[in-house]
Amino acid sequence: MTYLFFSYFKDLVGREVTVELKNDLAIRGTLHSVDQYLNIKLENTRVVDQDKYPHMLSVRNCFIRGSVVRYVQLPPDGVDIELLHDATRREARGG
Amino acid sequence: MAVGLRHFTARAGNGVGEPILDTDNGEELVHVQPSVSVAVGNRVPESPGTLYITNRQVIWLSELDREKGYAVGFLSLSLHAVSRDPEAYPSPCIYTQIETEADEVEDESEDSDSECSEVLDLSKIREMRFIPSDANQCVYDSVFPSTMDTLFQVFCECAELNPEPIEEGEEEGHNWIFSADQLEDEAGAGDDVEWHFSQNPTNTIGHSNGHHDLASSVLELQINDQRFDDAEEMEQDTDTGHHHQSQQ
Repeated sequence: MTYLFFSYFKDLVGREVTVELKNDLAIRGTLHSVDQYLNIKLENTRVVDQDKYPHMLSVRNCFIRGSVVRYVQLPPDGVDIELLHDATRREARGG
Repeated sequence: MAVGLRHFTARAGNGVGEPILDTDNGEELVHVQPSVSVAVGNRVPESPGTLYITNRQVIWLSELDREKGYAVGFLSLSLHAVSRDPEAYPSPCIYTQIETEADEVEDESEDSDSECSEVLDLSKIREMRFIPSDANQCVYDSVFPSTMDTLFQVFCECAELNPEPIEEGEEEGHNWIFSADQLEDEAGAGDDVEWHFSQNPTNTIGHSNGHHDLASSVLELQINDQRFDDAEEMEQDTDTGHHHQSQQ
């Protein structure tokens, strides 16, 4: 399943995403890269809830460890439902 | 899993040299960055020291105080970022977030605590900043990467060398297929239950015809007659065998 998300996120490189961490911090930025462990690199980031995290106001580059990611919010047109359906079906069949 | 920040004092050369690494288990030094201050939590930056980045952890050793040093494993580093916005922090720095044991428990405003308390509880520290003294130089130099960019890259590369270990317990939890032993046990336990159920209908049929007296006399007869006992046992065995087959 991890591989499915990995290849899916790879197609979103260069797009704006919002990464929500397990500690509730949500960071918005341009997806720079993602690796097989779903470590995510963002560029030109900003914290969504700036009142709560003022010191994280803006950072240029940010590396987020895959294991601390709770959600990744995708751009609406970045969700190819057909492709995901197909990929999950193939995954479920074990190939 | 998360160990968080910890003190580090193991230095080579009678406590004056480089950090002593776990080289027996493959730990290697990847990058050394002198003249780096460190700010733990939201405390003020400490006097400069040297940053050692290994393939396992980030170690900072104070230049002035030989007894002072910190280390954090890459498994505990949830996030690292290049912070250059003066509004976010006065000096350009590598900002890190640290996953702690306490993260499992409810957050109880550790920031104010850590500032007030005399004794610094490193296991509760969730943020740390590494402030290179030459951070302002070459920041906008596009040809040579700045210290900050180099550090960021090294942090990234080393973080990628440390994927989440697969916990054994977790693996079992996700495993929907039982082992062969478990299957046999399950089948055995299921068999007992089945056996009682399959007996009940027989009794019910025997009693339901209204000839209660007849039924009990037949039962007595069976109990007193050894041949019937044997027959019944054989029947049980056959039944059990049958259930075994249908279960597997």
